[in-house]
Amino acid sequence: MNLRGGWALIQRTWLSWLQHRSFFFLLAFGWMVPPLIYLFVWSTAAGAGTAGGLRRGEFVAYYLVLILVNQLTYSQTNWTVGDTIRHGGMNTLLLRPLSPIFDALASELAGKVVYMAFVLPVTAGLALILRPELQVTLQGGLAFVPTLAMAWALRFFWGYALALLAFWATRADALLAVQDALIFLLAGQVAPIRLLPAPLHQVAVILPFRYMLGFPVEVLTGQLETDGLPTGLALQLGWLLVALVLFSMLWRAGVRRYAAVGG
Amino acid sequence: MHYLRLIRSFIDVAFQNALAYRINFWVSLLHSILDLGTGILALMVLFSQVEAIRGWTLPATLALLGTYLLLGALRRLFIGPSLEALAGMDGEIWVGTFDFTLLRPVNVQFLASVRTWQPLAVLDLLLGAVVLLTASLRLGRALALVQVLYFIVTLLAAVAILYALLLAFSALVFWSPGLLFTWLFNALFQMARYPVGLYPGWLRLVLTWVVPVGVMTTVPAQALAGGLSLGMLLGSLGLAGGLFCGASLLFRTGLRRYASASS
Repeated sequence: MNLRGGWALIQRTWLSWLQHRSFFFLLAFGWMVPPLIYLFVWSTAAGAGTAGGLRRGEFVAYYLVLILVNQLTYSQTNWTVGDTIRHGGMNTLLLRPLSPIFDALASELAGKVVYMAFVLPVTAGLALILRPELQVTLQGGLAFVPTLAMAWALRFFWGYALALLAFWATRADALLAVQDALIFLLAGQVAPIRLLPAPLHQVAVILPFRYMLGFPVEVLTGQLETDGLPTGLALQLGWLLVALVLFSMLWRAGVRRYAAVGG
Repeated sequence: MHYLRLIRSFIDVAFQNALAYRINFWVSLLHSILDLGTGILALMVLFSQVEAIRGWTLPATLALLGTYLLLGALRRLFIGPSLEALAGMDGEIWVGTFDFTLLRPVNVQFLASVRTWQPLAVLDLLLGAVVLLTASLRLGRALALVQVLYFIVTLLAAVAILYALLLAFSALVFWSPGLLFTWLFNALFQMARYPVGLYPGWLRLVLTWVVPVGVMTTVPAQALAGGLSLGMLLGSLGLAGGLFCGASLLFRTGLRRYASASS
């Protein structure tokens, strides 16, 4: 592992991304809108009472945290790595004396810095207008950090593994579209997981998508069921291991199979 | 007549282009079905928790979703791709090939608005129509002819508003070529998925008067659900006419600023 080279790459990418901030601000705004819509819809639904057992302020808190977590865990490698492979850009990356994973990590870090520069002030402004009700317990606050880190890692490696399918199929768009739909429905965007109707709820708890986004939000806002934390952590860790194994298998098999296209 | 003939040949070319990528048809169908499925499931989740929100019941909101899908399909059919080719990423103004478009012996606004078609969007058009039909059956009472007439008129007004807004956002590119205004519109357009009345007051004002995205779907859905006053009908017609003239004026003013780009 060439760590010094990796860090230099991260710095370079970060600086070059900051130059194009208006473009990335626009992207960040686009990703913010869907959760924002559901924030408004659910808080109107709750009105002065409750909807599905949650008050208006609790919905606001849930969705504002979700917007931040979504931005922090969003995996762009889903799209960019696939394109790099398809257009032959992988050639240059493979020739470097450091693993191409550093490239993905560099754009991840650069992206997170630039996106947060936009999302943090906007969310803070919204919090001032919409008055969320957020009571963080010590346990919730402590558990939030590792669950968030694992959510990021899970989404990153899962997305990277899917993108690596580009080694075999020239277009994996259909698969990515299905994954986007599943994240929308089952990761806690359309509604907090516990408000989903029965069969959908069980599916959401088992599949990995909740652990990429909704789970850390539930941990921080204290919306888990009583024994939800240990089970959730176990499932999250399990899915993270699956994603890591999947990623390394696909990477090894893919690079061996890779015959450069174009230049 | 000349203009209609031009449109026909644009469609012909687009159709032949689409035929070249046959697998794309299935991917596109999958996208459409996923979009529809997530939209409907989102409504079912919401209405499994509440009976009605601010007077909007499930069938009425479904009618609104149908209108949204229909408008989205029309946008994808030709308005979106045409204007994206002008003002989007790597669009003509960005790279400077707009010069060739200006040289053609046709009205520039006409050419810029109808030249690129996406025939596969017809699928979305059909799905949207099915949703609308289902919704109007579920609204319970027999639809009066007047209601259907009102719906068609307000839907046409909505299409005009959609076109005018996209044209205006695209025309802004003449002032600031680096910004992707059409992407900004895409993000805002998603808000039309839900009735404008569900948003908090300040946002409702923005979505009605500043960027009237909310009016586009709320008014036709209200016409179908039977809650439309004559004033609103005339209002949306007036808005459509006013916006169309305003956007055309903006486009023409912008056009005069265009000073070509070279690379």
